[in-house]
Amino acid sequence: MRIERKIVFSNLINLVLIVAIGSFAISYLNSISEQATFLSIADSLNASFLEMRLSEKNYFLFNDNTALKSIQDRISQTQDQMNSVRDDIVRVIGQDGYNELQNRLNSYSAAVSQAGATDARDPQTEETIREAGRQLKDSSDAITGQERQHIEHNITRSKELLLLAIGAVFVSALVVSRSISGKIIGPIRQIERLAKSISAGNFKKIEAPIPRDEFGPVIEAINSMSEELEEREEEIIQSKKLASMGVLVAGVAHELNNPVNNISMVAQAYDELYDKLTPQQRREFMQKVDRETGRIKKIVDNLLDYGKPKEPNPREVGINSVIGKSMQLVQNTLNISKIETTLDLAEGLPELFVDDNQIQQVLINLILNAAQAMEEGGRLTVKSSLDRERGMVDITVADTGKGIPAEYLPYIFDPFFSVKEEGGTGLGLSVSFGIIKSHGGNIRVDSKAGIGTTFTVELPVPEEKGTT
Amino acid sequence: MSEKIMIIDDEKIVGDMARISLEEDGYEVETFLTAAPALERLKEAPFDVVVTDLKMKGIDGLEVLRAVREMSPKTKVIMITAFANLDVAIEAIKGDVFDFFPKPVRIKELKESIRKALAQNGGQNGEQPGK
Repeated sequence: MRIERKIVFSNLINLVLIVAIGSFAISYLNSISEQATFLSIADSLNASFLEMRLSEKNYFLFNDNTALKSIQDRISQTQDQMNSVRDDIVRVIGQDGYNELQNRLNSYSAAVSQAGATDARDPQTEETIREAGRQLKDSSDAITGQERQHIEHNITRSKELLLLAIGAVFVSALVVSRSISGKIIGPIRQIERLAKSISAGNFKKIEAPIPRDEFGPVIEAINSMSEELEEREEEIIQSKKLASMGVLVAGVAHELNNPVNNISMVAQAYDELYDKLTPQQRREFMQKVDRETGRIKKIVDNLLDYGKPKEPNPREVGINSVIGKSMQLVQNTLNISKIETTLDLAEGLPELFVDDNQIQQVLINLILNAAQAMEEGGRLTVKSSLDRERGMVDITVADTGKGIPAEYLPYIFDPFFSVKEEGGTGLGLSVSFGIIKSHGGNIRVDSKAGIGTTFTVELPVPEEKGTT
Repeated sequence: MSEKIMIIDDEKIVGDMARISLEEDGYEVETFLTAAPALERLKEAPFDVVVTDLKMKGIDGLEVLRAVREMSPKTKVIMITAFANLDVAIEAIKGDVFDFFPKPVRIKELKESIRKALAQNGGQNGEQPGK
């Protein structure tokens, strides 16, 4: 179900719940107010009965017949009162209860009339009056007592109902908001994680089943964006590689000149001195030619290998050999630029699980950048070392060039940002960053204007290798 | 006493091939793979011609040229290089280089250049070379 509908639906449920509880509460309050009205009637009846009994007591004490008269008046008043609220009384104590009350009133009235009929004091009659009066008062007490109980009961029920209602609304709100926020927060967290991993150059997708709510289309869009970026990144890596090949080829062409010259000189000497050379020397000459062609082949192979588009293909490699290969490709470019190189490679480094082709691309990119920063010559230092504590192999590429202005440092890994005066695509470092991040590593820069720049590439040591 | 030729090139084959050909012509040849020991040797013994590679680890060809000019003004310096670059050529000419060869080097042309250099020196170390 869509989240919007869920919210509307759950609000409706809560509304119905509140209306139902409100109705119940109102009906309870109505019945309490009715009962309170009746209680006041019952109280006034009770007061009448009490007065009758007071008059009764006066009669017995002072043998005063006017007291009997006043009882009779009270009885007839009470009878009128009872008739007027008969329905209310019946509702509370039932028809039988009402009849019994009526009978007792009648008996009391009869007993009082009987006593008034004669002046003589008859103990029997007196006793009948007393008994009837007591019974009448008892009934009346019972009615008020019962009604009080009803009211208390209803108040308690109302309290319970309200508490229950508050609890129910609370629970329902909790459940609904939990389920809705779960529906919202879950996907948002997933999207957040994915965005982080994409910005680190790791083009994953959200693998969880696509929800059918509003997040479905969002997640699908993000997934297809990630896919698209992954395809584009390969294109960018490849184009960047071909761009740096232009620089490399210039250097490599000069490097080819050496073996070509060697072969040429051997051939010339062979031709010139053929008659004077011993068979053994001739053989040695040809072996030299063969070795030099081997050298040429290796240089050409390296270049071809570098230019080929390649699927990322991690395998176990010694990082020093990757550094060595990279240096071979750039050595001549460095020589031309009057750059001295220092290699400081730690021995016994654990093998890394990396795509050597991609790491080589990163190193070549860093080294060529360093060379471009040292137009007037300088020193390039490439170092490898193991950081046991963090389980990382660090590779630093340091130059003594002009440095990167501090205000540019935060942006140098951004795509299309370049500090080079001309010819920088602004993609080299961004692609390098992506490659290193996708290897679970990190790339840092430290630069001081006029002193030089140091790039540090950190690559994780595979766990099973440990750091022993 | 035959003319003394020094060859400095970090590519061993260059020295080997140049030597075998030059010795055939009667020159006395010494080869070095780096410049530092070559310059040490120059302090001990005079050479008529120094053939040096331009691009080498440590001391490069231009520095060799300057050092030779200082130590032994009469010695001719011929430079060979795997890459030709105008700036370097200008600097070499300013440093009074005798000749400049891009690789691949034609041995005959190199020998011709050496002969001219020796002729300019007026056979300082003896007669014209010959078989």
